[in-house]
Amino acid sequence: MSTVPLFTDESWQMPSKGKVAMLSLIIGECGIFGIFLAAFIFYLGHNLSGPTPSILDVPVFNTVCLLSSSLTIWLAERAIEHGEIRKFGALWGLTILLGLEFITGTALEWYTLIYRDGLTISTNLFGTTFYSLVGLHATHVVVGLVGLTTIMIFTLLGKVRQEHAHRVQVFALYWHFVDAVWVVVFTVVYLVGR
Amino acid sequence: MSEQIHLEPKGMVGQHIAMPEPTAWPIVLAFGCTMAVAGLLTSWGIGILGGVLIVAGCVGWFRDVLPHEKHEEVEVLDQPIIITSHRALVERIQVHPRHRAHLPVETYPVVSGIKGGIAGGIAMIIPALIYGWIAHHSIWYPVNLLGGAGVIHWRNPSTADIAAFHWQGLLVALAIHVITCLLVGMLYGAMLPMVPRHPIVLGGILAPLLWTGILHSSMGIINPALDERIAWGWFVISQVTFGITAGIVVSRQERVPTGQSLPFAVRLGIEAPGLMHSRPDVGPPRDGGKH
Amino acid sequence: MADQPVPIAGPLEVAYPTQGTFLEWLHSWVTTVDHKKIGIMYIVFALFFMMVAGAEAMLIRIQLAIPNNHAISPEMYNELFTMHGTTMVFLVGMPILFGLANYIVPLQIGARDMAFPRLNAFSFWLTAFGGFLLYYSFIGGFGLYGMGNAPDAGWFAYAPLTLRSFSPGHSIDYWAAALILSGFGTLGTAINIIATTLSMRCRGMTLMRMPLFTWLLLVVSALTLVTITPLTAAQVMLLLDRYAGAHFFDAQAGGSPLLWIHFFWVFGHPEVYVLVLPAFAVANEVIPVFSRKAIFGYPAMVAASVGIGFTSLAVWAHHMFTVGMSAAGNSFFVLSTMVVGIFTGIKMFNWLATMWGGSIRFATPMLFCIGFLFQFLIAGLTGIMLAAAPWDWQLHNSYFLIAHFHYVLVGAIVMCIFAAVYYWYPKAMGRRLSETLGKWHFWVFVIGFHMTFDTMHFVGFFGMPRSIYTYEADRGWNTLNMVISIGAFIQAIGVLIFAWNLVHSYFYGEEAGSDPWDAWTLEWATPSPPPVYNFVTEPEVRSRRPLWDIKHPQDPDWKYEP
Repeated sequence: MSTVPLFTDESWQMPSKGKVAMLSLIIGECGIFGIFLAAFIFYLGHNLSGPTPSILDVPVFNTVCLLSSSLTIWLAERAIEHGEIRKFGALWGLTILLGLEFITGTALEWYTLIYRDGLTISTNLFGTTFYSLVGLHATHVVVGLVGLTTIMIFTLLGKVRQEHAHRVQVFALYWHFVDAVWVVVFTVVYLVGR
Repeated sequence: MSEQIHLEPKGMVGQHIAMPEPTAWPIVLAFGCTMAVAGLLTSWGIGILGGVLIVAGCVGWFRDVLPHEKHEEVEVLDQPIIITSHRALVERIQVHPRHRAHLPVETYPVVSGIKGGIAGGIAMIIPALIYGWIAHHSIWYPVNLLGGAGVIHWRNPSTADIAAFHWQGLLVALAIHVITCLLVGMLYGAMLPMVPRHPIVLGGILAPLLWTGILHSSMGIINPALDERIAWGWFVISQVTFGITAGIVVSRQERVPTGQSLPFAVRLGIEAPGLMHSRPDVGPPRDGGKH
Repeated sequence: MADQPVPIAGPLEVAYPTQGTFLEWLHSWVTTVDHKKIGIMYIVFALFFMMVAGAEAMLIRIQLAIPNNHAISPEMYNELFTMHGTTMVFLVGMPILFGLANYIVPLQIGARDMAFPRLNAFSFWLTAFGGFLLYYSFIGGFGLYGMGNAPDAGWFAYAPLTLRSFSPGHSIDYWAAALILSGFGTLGTAINIIATTLSMRCRGMTLMRMPLFTWLLLVVSALTLVTITPLTAAQVMLLLDRYAGAHFFDAQAGGSPLLWIHFFWVFGHPEVYVLVLPAFAVANEVIPVFSRKAIFGYPAMVAASVGIGFTSLAVWAHHMFTVGMSAAGNSFFVLSTMVVGIFTGIKMFNWLATMWGGSIRFATPMLFCIGFLFQFLIAGLTGIMLAAAPWDWQLHNSYFLIAHFHYVLVGAIVMCIFAAVYYWYPKAMGRRLSETLGKWHFWVFVIGFHMTFDTMHFVGFFGMPRSIYTYEADRGWNTLNMVISIGAFIQAIGVLIFAWNLVHSYFYGEEAGSDPWDAWTLEWATPSPPPVYNFVTEPEVRSRRPLWDIKHPQDPDWKYEP
């Protein structure tokens, strides 16, 4: 640092690379979801045979659970930022439970659709687009749950401390995305589509 | 002319810099993903191999970065860099400051053209109606000439037809008139910087003649019926009325400075030493010249 | 500039000690997370596949050189043009741009490595394995007779040809699966480049002081995020159709092949800009340095690049005029496509203005960039022609179209790739490429290029469609096709000269020193090749040309920049 021009502002700050990367990933994921949503909307009402979207039940309870998990994870982020690890653990666990409830609800919904209504991915266009779109979202929920659980295990082992707040927040961004995209999927599939 | 850059490692030689440690887990994970996908194409055994490798890769990678990212210490080598150029002479492009002064320093805003267009549009109605009254004893004659396109069932209308009142003709004529006046006004505003000092000359003479000329040469193609019946003398009168009114309105507007008063380089946003003066407010590097 | 006290012994010895066995050397490359090594691996991988896909093009040209030819079988011919296109786009264009980005971007912004070194390695290997999986289909694709079977449905793989009933066996599965893999690799690298450029810049490197190369690679990476993901999604749908019995593109169950065409071009057109923007990026570095002038209109260049990025997302259906759309749809895509011409026009004029009044040195990188300017102009003009729907109805999928996009892909992108290799090879290897061979390479390649692709326009006018196996002798295409094929072989000779230059100069090239071109960006402030850590101390910059400031302390740029 000899001849370099120094700056009057000593605070040369760059955005967090973790957040930038996660936001980039989310933008990319939007591309994937966009294409599946486009296919779903394009094929609305194009069924040649078989069940139509009217057989769907609106999963209100599931949706409430998933959306409130965004709230609990946000509270958990704040807790770890202030160093309240026990509170963080509790809220994090609650987030996992809410996520698990959602994925169980989806599984039950699919069970009903397959065995009561005889709707599978190869039945008709509605089956194709419905299972692929909702399945894409469910895959993201499962990936999110794996991540959440991993962090939960480390919390229970006492390895998570206040200085990890940033990493936790980066991961939480992903979970917020999974919740936010459900609002879109829910609207398109259960409100518009039905 | 040469200055040793800060990267010069003197004093750092032999010290260590922490760099990420090489690791095989990314390639294991990538190979696992490939095998998992290839399992779909070949046989499930390969898919299972892929799955195992994925799990192994994830765990291994995880242990690489948690709780702390693994680093290796790399020794700083003695590789001094001398940043210098044998092209010491810098030649500047010479541009006289008055070189571009013929562009106006201030002009009327485009909005003033639109205002002029509105005013002129109202004013030019008067000679047009006078023409209709004098020539055919009907103020509806010029209206129908303009709006005739909107009256669908007209085929070769007689003069009496055109002189009568038709509400469709009035509506269409109004629409054409309003839109054209606004567009011409806008065009007028955009052209103003070219003749910035004489808006009335531009608006009152140049623009109407230009406009009439274009119409005169193209009306035969656009609307032959109108072309046959149009009285070009009266037409020019109403056009000039439009132009002069618009010009007067414009000349009463405030002038605004154009980008011409700014330095060339600032206008283009380019970095061009020689085309602009160095900024006095920027000082030299705080501790420059230590070497 | 080359008066270094410590002589550089061998090109690679200094930075990467290679004492030890071959296995240790291999291990050091396989496990590396160093952005420079990964960049080199990307580029070597891409150049290798460039040779492969080039050889496929040669076979195609042999087949088409004379009428009623049967040099290769029709099935083989379909595989060849499919693999040629797929390889050139996914295994040459994308890897080489990411290789350049990997190598150059951290150096230009004064960083020690990419933001995520391990993700970087992972992304590269995913792309590489995807490429190998694709080529494995030649022996493992289980064709109709149990023989190997490569993908043969064109690089755009239009449905319904790709469905189970029309493409039995696994060839299409290989195509989709391999590209999904390499697609995720691409996504990883794109995220990495974005995070690197936004978060790893050295002190003083504000966004508006970033070198234009880095700026354009940032735009490219951002564009990649929303470009490669639709393709991945569409290919997942295709695999669902083929494996799970879904009906996305199955017309018999009400599905729509048209949807595939839309999805593919939603990816396919921005992809062209993903490939061509790095070419612009190279020109942005090379032209100022060899004109001895700062780039003209830096903010305009940045704005035009970002503008191209956004506009390119709304032009995809100009590939679909002949598919049939409403008049409104046609008009929209005609106009949006032509808007791209405005942005590229801005760039064109800025490059010319940079050269105007400069003291131009006709070194090999500059030669390639000048060739690029000329050829890209023509490519842009035929692009405007094809953007007009009525013209496109006449000439779509004729050789005119082939000529147009090869003018872009070869005349612009490949030329700039060559320029980039000549420009940065001394940095990466410590030795310069031979100028003599370089000039031979340039002239041979340019002559071959114009023989091939200028002629293709005319054979397109005369009605020759793309992707045909052979043609009758009475069509009037014979001479032209022979000229095209001869030109293709002249290009191949040019590329072989290039390959020889790469190998020969690695051992016997003139030593480069840290700054062989008297350039201005930070990568030239490191030894050649740069040590693992790039910079001993974090550099600080005050202008867009930090090395200019040091070389000319009397009139540094920071006095003039806004």
